[in-house]
Amino acid sequence: MSAIDFAAAAPARIAMPAPAVRARPYASPYLAGVGIGLVLLAAYVTVGHGLGASGGFTSVAVAGVAAVAPEQAAASPVLGGYLGGGGRGPLADWLVIELIGVALGGYLSARLAGRARRTVERGPRVTDRARLMYGFGGGVVMGLGAKLARGCTSGQALTGGALLSVGSWIFIATAFAAAFAAAPLFRREWT
Amino acid sequence: MSGRAPRAHRLLAIAAATLGALALVAGGAGATRQGVDVVALAREVEAEADHVTARELAAWIRDGREGLRIVDVRTPAEFADYAIPTAENLSLTALTRAAIRPDETVVLYSEGGAHAAQGWFLLRARGVKRVYFLREGLYEWLTQVMTPVLPDGASAADRAAFDSAAELSRYFGGVPRAGGGASVDGDASAALPGASAEGGSAAAVRRVRRRGC
Amino acid sequence: MTLPFLASDAGAAGLGVALAVGVAFGWGLERAGLGNARRLAGQFFGTDFTVLKVLFSAIVTAMLGVFWLAQMGILDPARVYVPETWLLPQAVGGALFGVGMVAGGLCPGTSCVAAAAGRRDGLAVMGGMLAGILLFAAAFPLIDQLYEATPAGTLTFPDLLRVPPGTVVAAVVAMALGAFAGVEAFERRAALRPGGAS
Repeated sequence: MSAIDFAAAAPARIAMPAPAVRARPYASPYLAGVGIGLVLLAAYVTVGHGLGASGGFTSVAVAGVAAVAPEQAAASPVLGGYLGGGGRGPLADWLVIELIGVALGGYLSARLAGRARRTVERGPRVTDRARLMYGFGGGVVMGLGAKLARGCTSGQALTGGALLSVGSWIFIATAFAAAFAAAPLFRREWT
Repeated sequence: MSGRAPRAHRLLAIAAATLGALALVAGGAGATRQGVDVVALAREVEAEADHVTARELAAWIRDGREGLRIVDVRTPAEFADYAIPTAENLSLTALTRAAIRPDETVVLYSEGGAHAAQGWFLLRARGVKRVYFLREGLYEWLTQVMTPVLPDGASAADRAAFDSAAELSRYFGGVPRAGGGASVDGDASAALPGASAEGGSAAAVRRVRRRGC
Repeated sequence: MTLPFLASDAGAAGLGVALAVGVAFGWGLERAGLGNARRLAGQFFGTDFTVLKVLFSAIVTAMLGVFWLAQMGILDPARVYVPETWLLPQAVGGALFGVGMVAGGLCPGTSCVAAAAGRRDGLAVMGGMLAGILLFAAAFPLIDQLYEATPAGTLTFPDLLRVPPGTVVAAVVAMALGAFAGVEAFERRAALRPGGAS
């Protein structure tokens, strides 16, 4: 029984995804949040900086470009700094390893909760293919936004937010505001 | 959601509210408040244990002293124009939050030494154990190391000292000179070296730390 | 010994921390259901408040942790890296990011969680992110003025408002708890709790 059927049984306005029958329910978001906060704190006190994600993606992107067009990669003011020996060296590696951990942790948790399955999470009114295209497009825009802002929800909102950085809170505010404002455009995708 | 979770939430909320309220009372934390033993620091200054000479620094660089970090506290533009080889560029504000390991030896320099001396105080106040500065800054480096001068009528001891200084100078691509202004090595151009004079070592080992997310 | 205790995050210890931190982070995100794009997107339709609850709970926890460890002299906050502030790029970048998030339903971190749990849309978002980064690099000459605009250096609210950090901490806690109370009340009224998952 798929998640879609559950949602159809609920009032139409509530497009709330429910896990499949045999899966465990999600944990309390507050408890999970506190847990994540403690993880963030652990990072601060061990390595002196917080979490990140988009930086790790940049490293991967740079590695890809460097493999096919090394001169381009080195020449780019954006990508060049991520190449080995550049100014960002150690932190870039750290983020990649962290992201590998995120995937691993996500997999373990999903597996143990019976939530791991090959599927596409989408609203009932779009096809898998459309959802994947929205996903890709959304990713492109997030990639642009994250580079401009020097971070994403992990690096700016969480890490910078907890450290009371003004720019990070500006990021939180504009991200949430823009997401709420743009939501009607994507109603079809989700509801 | 089970009945247990809301109870845990309530406890967390109370804990957060309490810690938040106490924070309001406690007020300040952070780098701005640091216990500083001013007497001990004053004694270090008077004992001249706070600075090194440019030649001592040059010898440290040449000998590859472990954990040596040379910090140029001038502006990025000045730093790009010329810097002591292997130096990194950190402003005084950046210095207050720079990560410095206990086994590292920091040597600060500025144009003439004043800012570097202030940086010395900042780092000592932060508890950094091994920190020195160049008393006369880059000026001292350029005159004592890059273009040491053997004055006319120098004694044998002076001569010996000059010879070792000259050797050090050549290591960095400098131009040792005799009193008349002519280079000891017969090099007609006694111009002060630019950024490229040290064989690229200045540019090569400049460690710029830039971070993102 | 004051924390942070590893001077550099390179080396076996630093990368070991990266892995451990990552696993715990990914675990927490998945447990909260943020590996599920529908749930995440629901935040922006007002049907699911997990994003807000997780984000602010995490921020408050870490923030209180940093403040109190510093107060007790255990942590030297000057040695914790604070991201710099760039007013305009972060405002514009944030807005772009928000649009991308509601379109994609996942953020960079949660896209890894989703992909690892088998969600193909997670992979799509990850692919899009890589493309977006490369697009940014390629278009950099056009936007570098925006990128470098309005730098404010390391700027925190205590610095900006010239108040003690404790005051800001208290204000953020109050705001977060207020937001949670408001959301709970809203959820109760909208009866958003079918039995089981919430």
